[in-house]
Amino acid sequence: MSEFAQQLVNGLTVGGIYALIALGYTMVYGILKLINFAHGDLCVLGAFIGLTVITSMGGATGSPAAWVVGLAFVVAIVAISCAGALLEFAAYRPLRNAHRLSAVVSALGASMMIENGIMLIWSPQTLVFPQGILPSKSWHIAGVVITFTQLLIIVVSFVLMAALYLYVNRTRFGTAIRAAAIDQDAARLMGINVNRVIVSVFILGPALGAIGGLFIGLYYRQAVFNMGWTYGLNAFIAAIIGGIGNIPGAMLGGLLLGLFNALAAGYISSTWQQAITFGLLIAILLIRPSGILGERVAEKV
Amino acid sequence: MRKEFVGAVAAALVGFSSLAAASGSVTFGVQAPITGKYANEGQGIAKAVKLLAKQQNADGGLNGKMIKVQVCDDEGKATQAALCARRLANAGVFAVIGSYTSGAASAAQPIYARANIIQTSDGTADELTKRGFKTFFRNAPPNSAEAKFTGKYLVKGKGYKKIAIISDHSSFAKGLGDAVETAVKAEGGNVLARAYINSGSQDFTSVLTDLKSKNPDVIYFSGYYSDGGLLRSQEAQLGMNVPFVGGDANQNVAFAKIAGSAAKGSVIINVPAPENLPYPAAKQFLAAYKKAYDALPPSIYTLTNADGMRVIMKAVEQTKSLDPVKVMSYMHNKVDNFQGITGPITFSKTGERIGSAFQAFEVQADGSYKTVYPADAASS
Amino acid sequence: MRTVFYRWIGPAIWIIGLGVPLVLGPNWISILSIFSIYAVVALSQDIVLGRAGMFDMGHAVYFGVGAYTTAILNTVYGWPILWTMVPAVVLAALVGGLLAAPIVKLRGDYLLVATIGISQIFHLVMVNNVAGMTGGPDGIFGIGVPSIFGYQIVSQSGLFLVGWLLLGVVLLLMNNLENSRLGRVFRYLKEDELAATTLGVNARYYKIVAFALGAGVAGSAGTLLASQLAVVSPGAFVFTESVTLFAIVLVGGQASIPGVLLGTVLMFVVPQVFRELAQYRYFVFGIAMIVVMVIRPQGIWPRRRRIE
Repeated sequence: MSEFAQQLVNGLTVGGIYALIALGYTMVYGILKLINFAHGDLCVLGAFIGLTVITSMGGATGSPAAWVVGLAFVVAIVAISCAGALLEFAAYRPLRNAHRLSAVVSALGASMMIENGIMLIWSPQTLVFPQGILPSKSWHIAGVVITFTQLLIIVVSFVLMAALYLYVNRTRFGTAIRAAAIDQDAARLMGINVNRVIVSVFILGPALGAIGGLFIGLYYRQAVFNMGWTYGLNAFIAAIIGGIGNIPGAMLGGLLLGLFNALAAGYISSTWQQAITFGLLIAILLIRPSGILGERVAEKV
Repeated sequence: MRKEFVGAVAAALVGFSSLAAASGSVTFGVQAPITGKYANEGQGIAKAVKLLAKQQNADGGLNGKMIKVQVCDDEGKATQAALCARRLANAGVFAVIGSYTSGAASAAQPIYARANIIQTSDGTADELTKRGFKTFFRNAPPNSAEAKFTGKYLVKGKGYKKIAIISDHSSFAKGLGDAVETAVKAEGGNVLARAYINSGSQDFTSVLTDLKSKNPDVIYFSGYYSDGGLLRSQEAQLGMNVPFVGGDANQNVAFAKIAGSAAKGSVIINVPAPENLPYPAAKQFLAAYKKAYDALPPSIYTLTNADGMRVIMKAVEQTKSLDPVKVMSYMHNKVDNFQGITGPITFSKTGERIGSAFQAFEVQADGSYKTVYPADAASS
Repeated sequence: MRTVFYRWIGPAIWIIGLGVPLVLGPNWISILSIFSIYAVVALSQDIVLGRAGMFDMGHAVYFGVGAYTTAILNTVYGWPILWTMVPAVVLAALVGGLLAAPIVKLRGDYLLVATIGISQIFHLVMVNNVAGMTGGPDGIFGIGVPSIFGYQIVSQSGLFLVGWLLLGVVLLLMNNLENSRLGRVFRYLKEDELAATTLGVNARYYKIVAFALGAGVAGSAGTLLASQLAVVSPGAFVFTESVTLFAIVLVGGQASIPGVLLGTVLMFVVPQVFRELAQYRYFVFGIAMIVVMVIRPQGIWPRRRRIE
């Protein structure tokens, strides 16, 4: 039983990270029908920028002050939001009226550019986050271990997800986002500045992704230039499981994927873990062809 | 029929390469992953080769000829490796250093063999030296030798009864893991569990939680340091107190950094670490490398590849010839305990590097290594 | 006049390519022989993606099935390379059809994710050496070279000609597909599945056929790849390879033969030429991909709109 509970904690932590990244995919997809393959790499860029802030503020040795860690988050969030908006402007906006797969190729190019850009700037080495950035405290409850970092990730990702959900569902601008996702032309006729909505989505998603990326770095204490692809793919799959374009779906998908992975590796076979996860994914799609919670938006015919 | 045809092609190409040799320079090729997943290792190899060439040229070159270096990026992929091999062969290189991965090295092997180009690679897959290519020289010890030592250490040396083996899905790690499993069984030991992680996926807590319930005496990990360091730290995070033994690819300064305070007490099995190498050649080369690139080599494989090139240069000097056949024959038969950066080097008839001294060393609190096995190496 | 031009552009590229090695030297022979293999796979990807309009991001799997079939039949059972092409094509088509059967009903991006899943599972199956035949992560070594009338084709130019020959055959096939009923059915399905179904087209059946056809053609390229490299390993058929194939079709132009060929040139040959950029290569290449798409959103050489 304690083993199961431990797997649950393991799965929730990584699931929280997946969910934060998945939100970026799902919001962009919801409005533009674009799979932004560069999103994972943006998140990783956030981790590298955050690490640079921490180490240059004296965090390389010993525990940095809490405000240094906070500053790292702020800088990463701002930088990645700008990068997201820039990407939208340079690589996706010119393709808005083209076949929607054209923008996908543009996204693949952007992914390649960011990944290799990180390699050129920070070297191809695995960069290590120094120990002691976050308190190394941990709690043992009935045989289950939960560390401070895990708790922080779980709590922060839940709070952020809830905040985003409320923002999108309860505010005026959130309503505009939802309207643009359902029908851009109608939204435009209703006086909604769709361009602004799109840019805002390319700021919000990467901002959350930067937090996710920095969490990856803080939790695993390492970052390597090419890890964006793995995280991006997992997060994208999480978004699909939940029902792409659907914000609560991305959250649910991220958490479920984290749990699937943990339980499959823990209980069935670590050798076949990926195959089991993907097998399950295909099964879910066959039973619920548009994800568990379904797409929010009807496909345009 | 086939033999004759291959022979004719080879002869034509030999003619070509000796023609190139008649000019004032000799070209060494580097086939390594300069981009992609293994960029770190590949760039290290290219840097080491360029450094060696520069040093040799400063001393008057190789048999009076200036060494040129041509690098080809194989991205660690077989397809690109084949293209690189042809490209280097067409460029008339005398010898090739690389590639880093077994898969890329093997795809290039037949092409170099046909063109009579000497190839030296760190690829650890046993297959590489079993295919009868006279042109191939492995500069790192093969998986099987390391596995044999590991099996002995785990079963006889430490007396572990329940051994868990973790690998990732890479050619190298799976091969080494399989070989260790065989070796443990051969020593009469018991493999309790065989688990896999996805390299780079970073979250190994689920695999470890599962192992925790099985209660092994030791966890042996055959993969790379970036994952090994994480395994070790997540082990500690989960409150597991199981000894950790890592294969040679865990030997990297980053291992201890990633594992953090959990690194202490981990055991790594390899030939001695770059910074711990007792050989004078090693100290000189590391100092030169540090000076040239302001960093230490990414791993021991940078150095084994450098050793591969040094042996080839030595053989060229000794035979006073740039005839690949003579040089290869010298390498197969006459190189005896050549003083390499990574220890004495001798090649078997199949191009296998033999007689490498493996050691088990324990990571200390300050991240340095202390040799603990075999006993005679530990005491010295 | 333009139709004639369009029809002859494929063969023209083929003939020009045949002459390139004579002019540009031996490096080009090896680049172009690998090009011919990838061009065949890209054309086969185009059958599924560009013509039938299904987002297949796991196409390298079928390429791999062909390559592994050849590798196993040649190294274990001693079959001559060119003979293995028949079972390689059949098996790849079978695998393509069988895997597609349950998933073709998925729409757009969901199909895309399902094919990604298939590609990851395939990789894992090969790596874990299922049935002890695939050689695990190292793959299979020592695959022979093709022989014609007892002559072993060992030289680079020989292998180049074999590859180019296959490309020629596939180009003919694509040309026929273009003008056949099957090709038109694919096009209807892509443009408007609902309308096609109301006209009595069995959408599911034809989608499976598209997958099987694409997979079979990819399988034939697999045979040549195995023989060219003399080694087959799981790394050559991973998900990122499928992504490259996907991008080739879109960069070149969907359902356009010259487009796909140009896409292959851009995505495959150009990086070979820019090797001198070393570690900057893929950074520059990524930017180039964005620029190309922004300038030519429909691909470099899009399909000409024809009035049916």
